[in-house]
Amino acid sequence: MQFYCCGRPSQTSYLSRASGHFSFVPLWVLSNSQRFVGGAMMTNVWEAVVLLLLPFLAPNAEGTQYSPPGKPALTRCRSPEKETFTCWWEPGSDGGLSTTYALYYRKENSETVYECPDYHTAGENSCFFNKNDTSIWVNYNITVVATNALGSSFSDPVDIDVVYIVKPNPPEELNVTIMEDKGWPYLRVSWKPPQKADTRSGWITLIYELRVKLEGEDDWEMHLAGQQKMFNIFSLRSGGSYHVQVRCKPDHGFWSEWSSADYIKVPDYFHREKSMWILITVFSTFIFLIFMCFLHMNSNSLKYYILPPIPGPKIKGFDKQLLKNGKSDEIFCALVVPDFPPTTSSKCENLMVEYLEVYVSEEQELILEESKELHNSLKCEGSTSDNDSGRGSCDSHTLLMDKCGEAKGDERQTDGEGHPMEMEAQMHQRDWKEGTLSSAYQDIVSPDMSSGRVKTWPSVFSPLHQCGSTSLNQMNSLAMAKQHCLSDNLSPPGSASSFLPQSGRSTTETHRPNYCEFYSSDKQLSSPKPQAQTHRKLQAHSDINISHKQAGLQSPALRPTEYVEVQRVNKEDMVLLQPVESGCVCGDGCPQVCQDYSKVKGLNSDNMLLLHRDVMEGEEVRSHCEKQETNGCITSHITPATQKPTDCIPTVTPIVQKEMGLAVSGYVDTAAMLTLPTH
Amino acid sequence: MDRVVVLLSVLSVAASSQSILDQRRFSIAVSRVQHIHLLAQKYFSDFESSLQTEDQRQLNKIFLRDFCNSDDIISPIDKHETQRSSVLKLLSISSRLIECWEFSSRFVTWSTFPRNQISHKLSELKTGIRMLIEANQDGAEVFSDSSTFQLAPYGNFYQSLGGDESLKRNYELLACFKKDMHKVETYLTVAKCRLSPEANCTL
Repeated sequence: MQFYCCGRPSQTSYLSRASGHFSFVPLWVLSNSQRFVGGAMMTNVWEAVVLLLLPFLAPNAEGTQYSPPGKPALTRCRSPEKETFTCWWEPGSDGGLSTTYALYYRKENSETVYECPDYHTAGENSCFFNKNDTSIWVNYNITVVATNALGSSFSDPVDIDVVYIVKPNPPEELNVTIMEDKGWPYLRVSWKPPQKADTRSGWITLIYELRVKLEGEDDWEMHLAGQQKMFNIFSLRSGGSYHVQVRCKPDHGFWSEWSSADYIKVPDYFHREKSMWILITVFSTFIFLIFMCFLHMNSNSLKYYILPPIPGPKIKGFDKQLLKNGKSDEIFCALVVPDFPPTTSSKCENLMVEYLEVYVSEEQELILEESKELHNSLKCEGSTSDNDSGRGSCDSHTLLMDKCGEAKGDERQTDGEGHPMEMEAQMHQRDWKEGTLSSAYQDIVSPDMSSGRVKTWPSVFSPLHQCGSTSLNQMNSLAMAKQHCLSDNLSPPGSASSFLPQSGRSTTETHRPNYCEFYSSDKQLSSPKPQAQTHRKLQAHSDINISHKQAGLQSPALRPTEYVEVQRVNKEDMVLLQPVESGCVCGDGCPQVCQDYSKVKGLNSDNMLLLHRDVMEGEEVRSHCEKQETNGCITSHITPATQKPTDCIPTVTPIVQKEMGLAVSGYVDTAAMLTLPTH
Repeated sequence: MDRVVVLLSVLSVAASSQSILDQRRFSIAVSRVQHIHLLAQKYFSDFESSLQTEDQRQLNKIFLRDFCNSDDIISPIDKHETQRSSVLKLLSISSRLIECWEFSSRFVTWSTFPRNQISHKLSELKTGIRMLIEANQDGAEVFSDSSTFQLAPYGNFYQSLGGDESLKRNYELLACFKKDMHKVETYLTVAKCRLSPEANCTL
């Protein structure tokens, strides 16, 4: 029954809300009572009575009366495939009477009210709209009315558009199988769309989602499958049992319910895994053992390879054993390398003075100095030695000298600016000492005679001709610093000048100079005789002369008759020696005939150096000297020896001995070397 | 005979290529309209949530009274009608709807709504649909509807009043826009599936 009080169905509902627990009292009832009461004066009392009784009446009515139904409410409307839809409502109280429900709807833009065509298909309290009654993209205004004998109640209207209420059915025919991919299993899940949904024609487009979980666990693993109807699941647990479910949703709509679960059990494939792991472990252990054996066996060589030993010093000729022995002089002898210093191929004629250094000291400490400038690396052998031998004080400012310093505190040589190469003359029998010859020293040679002062020592050796009477001391005064280092041609320019005064002093002072042996090798000299290159001990003959001359120092009365100075080395590699005599300088035009030991005749069996004495004329000498000048000779001092044979001087022998001795130690004296070929 | 065979093969190849091209264009059109529909949904829901409750009630009531501006465009409203319509008809209807909204979307006065962007997207979609129409037009079927350019659907906009109506009008516009975009999406999807080789539009 339709109830339209006051043309507005909604007003009745208002009243029912306001009355609360009171039963529904229609307005018209109230209005009638008012009319009834307002009739007369007498009616006022009746009014009051009625009004008073009214509340009591109502409860009485409640208990025994029926009331109109309560307001229903539309709960939901759904369309499974966008072609039909269903609405459900919730009924209110029925008021004790049988209540009927009706659903009315209006389409948009139309005032026509339609009633629900089908109340039964969808179940209780539902209305089903079939295809013919369903319009898409059209707004429906739906109302449910509950009616009983006493009244009706209307629900709130609901506007729906079918397009937006689509909730499909779950996918169907869910199928899960186990597939294998190279021995590794995986799940293949397939399904079909819900039957009613028309995806073939494109009327509805569905997207799917599935979820997987292990049996006994609570966490689901979600997978979005898009529009496809098949899905693969990897990374399975061996022997596990899985539950799989799937659901779908239209592109603009609601998710369906989950489909019924499908169960699948994954077979055990761990055994295969396990055996493989065992194999891998065994194999790797085996390899590891082999590796350890290899390491153990080759530990030494590996150690060598990984941590190579630090290379020791590689100095040619350096002998560690010698170093250990403590014989430092021997060490330095060993250092003398035949090839060093390199000499040119010039012949003896170009020879300058060779300096033979006579070393007297017994023990010397060789101080091997590493100096950057080889020419400065004169080593002074501090000689501690014995009393009788005069040790040339070999100090050079560049030398590290310990003992030299103490031995000669007073005399000092050379020091000069540069190269303290002082050469000391000698040939003293005792001066020759083995082991002292250490380095070939090629050195300074003919001083520059420009101003009568020795200025420079040209690197080329100039034959030392001196028949001068310069004493040994003078030569000593030149103070050969012992040079043990191989030095190149070093001629300290201007250094000589400084030497001289000192040398003068030294000669006077020291009778026993420390003889610094110094070995100079003449490049020219050495060329013909490679082995002899560095092994000559040459004496700066000219030095002495120069010093003698310049300093004006007359050589003291020392006349070491046994001193022989090397004049030069001639072409045939013969050392021309001449006695050093004081005061006799050929260059001065001394009319004397210089007797000099001009050349070494040879070496006799007793290792004696046989020398020839050459007597030369001064003139000859001079001229010869002059010739030599071009070679840098000190002309004034050069007294080239002629080839006159001289007597053998047996005094030379010790030298030879020493020289030979030196040769034994690896050090060959130039004199000795020179004699060899002449034999 | 050979020539005929050759001609037929060429035609078939051309047709297949054309169909392939069509399919591709359809896919593009469908994806574009889907995107526009999503945007329309988003803006409508945003607008509704921004309204106060009382206004929402009023608007719900109002909805029944007024029309959508595109109501004059006759379009299939259920599946049966849609499937009965030809592809060309569906395409033309879609084109008209898009055109209508290309114009009408500019009347949304809600600040959050990107009018220009939406209008631009709609114009692009319209171009695509026209291309599809041209590709599928046999020439025999001529749509009289398309020739008539009706301004009446847009008429109520000109009647709209001032500020009081703006809220209502925005609501209407957004709701109708959302609905129409879904319509176009459905039509294009159905047309595309109908034209697919195996007629099985599972993808």
